[in-house]
Amino acid sequence: MSLERTEEFDRGDWLEDKELSRVERGYLLTLMWLDKRLRLVDYLELLEDAYYKTNLQMPKSHTEQYNLDNKFWYWYPLYSLGSLSIIAYVLLAISGALLGFYYSPSATSAAGADATIAYNQIVFIQTDLNFGFMLRSIHRWAAQFMVAAVFLHMIRVYFTGAYKEPRELNWILGVVLILLTLLFGYSGYVLPWNQLAFWAAQIGLEMALSVPLIGEWAAQLLFGGFSPGAPTLMRMYILHVFVLPFVVTSLIAIHVGIVWMQGIAEPH
Amino acid sequence: MNENTNTNDDRTAAENADEAELRTDGGQPSDETGPSSELRTDGGEPNDETGPSSELRTDGGAITPADDDSPSFRERKERTDGLSRLTYEYFERSRREDQVLRDDSDYVERDVLGFPAWPHEMIRNLSITSFFVGVILFVSATMPPPLEAPANPTSTPAVILPDWYLYWSFGILKTETLNLELAILGGQTIATDRTFAVLLHGPIIAMMFLVPFLNKGSARRPVEQPFWSAVGVFGVILSFTLSLLAIKNLMATRVPILTSELQLWLSFALPFVGATITYAVLKSMREGYMYDLNRRYYRLRPPR
Repeated sequence: MSLERTEEFDRGDWLEDKELSRVERGYLLTLMWLDKRLRLVDYLELLEDAYYKTNLQMPKSHTEQYNLDNKFWYWYPLYSLGSLSIIAYVLLAISGALLGFYYSPSATSAAGADATIAYNQIVFIQTDLNFGFMLRSIHRWAAQFMVAAVFLHMIRVYFTGAYKEPRELNWILGVVLILLTLLFGYSGYVLPWNQLAFWAAQIGLEMALSVPLIGEWAAQLLFGGFSPGAPTLMRMYILHVFVLPFVVTSLIAIHVGIVWMQGIAEPH
Repeated sequence: MNENTNTNDDRTAAENADEAELRTDGGQPSDETGPSSELRTDGGEPNDETGPSSELRTDGGAITPADDDSPSFRERKERTDGLSRLTYEYFERSRREDQVLRDDSDYVERDVLGFPAWPHEMIRNLSITSFFVGVILFVSATMPPPLEAPANPTSTPAVILPDWYLYWSFGILKTETLNLELAILGGQTIATDRTFAVLLHGPIIAMMFLVPFLNKGSARRPVEQPFWSAVGVFGVILSFTLSLLAIKNLMATRVPILTSELQLWLSFALPFVGATITYAVLKSMREGYMYDLNRRYYRLRPPR
């Protein structure tokens, strides 16, 4: 009656038999150690399964079956619009994270100053910060390119009938994404808190207030009040750097994942 | 317990019987019935472990039932019911149907490999990516955004505009003259002009959601579906004209002929014109296209 744990599968002898090199032995021991705790072998099995599945002979695609390759690849630029918008999105994430180090979403004025802190930070980024002018420029232009690519992507999908069965859900997801992209752009437009930003916020607020029944509630939720001010800027900031990045990134992942699963809708 | 049920293949039933006989105390009566002790599925109770030949184990030991007794996956599933059972049955069924389809299919397996991902595809994608990033960097270096004046709630600027991609929405806000006065309401409008314009966003966005459910079928090319292509052209032109409507103040100063009423009229007439032209062109193209298709078809399979 010992409390010693008995090793069910004694691997010591087996390891001796293998006559492994030091590296191999170290690797194997690590693998065994991890497997005992994390059941790695199960996941290796999954990987193996995936490996064999990816190497299965896929059926002939439409373009192959009808020998449309030349015609298809001629239109390739139109078929890369989706990935172009993702590339722009990545650029936006990088430049946006860098801008976030220097920006401050405060619509209050520093003592004795005329402009707000948010605006002053933009001025600081553009005039004092090394590479700051370029950084903001990249962020702004990448946004323009992303929205343009997304619009063109949608037009391409429409005119090639790529939204048809079985891709209806992904079309709906795409429409949601385009609307969120516009909201992304709008909330970013408000952040510098210059004249255009302020009055764009004013118009957005009035639009929200014009909606019957839920108008005032929506205005409170999105703009933090009935006239643009410090709460508006703060809410747009949180929307722009906290809420939307998570939501849009995960929706993009699902969007691309579905394309991956269903395959690209090739032209007929 | 662990020695009774942890049956190895090389152990005979006789050995199991011997061991079962060796047990004199502690075991439950059913354990004493010789080889049939293998039939136990209860995972082992502590008092089973107290037999003289068994070692006390504190780690839960061998709680796995013998192979013969463990219910199969199917049996286990059949015991459960409700939604999970339904799901399982559906998956079984669809997998079987898939297999039947696969067996029946005379689908041609590919005999050539596709375009290789490396290096061809990778190099093409990399060059497109770096070209695109390069264009963005070039444009942002040459056309940096200007520094606007700081926000001033007391003075409304002459031009208030969002970014270009929201012009269409801003243009809709300027369609308030479309908010008809209804005779039933005695010359009153249903909603205020502003509410009307904001609510007009709803149907336009809803239309985009509904597209795949309105246009069904396997037609893909614009030629094959002149009507829906015309709808698409209508939408694209409308988004442009609405965007121009958003800057109608600027348009009026640039183009004096373009009065406000004319522009409003044009912004809804032009999409219809564009759609009609698209429809007509595609419809006439379609005949030639179908002729071509038919000719190819009949060449392959001449009518008897």
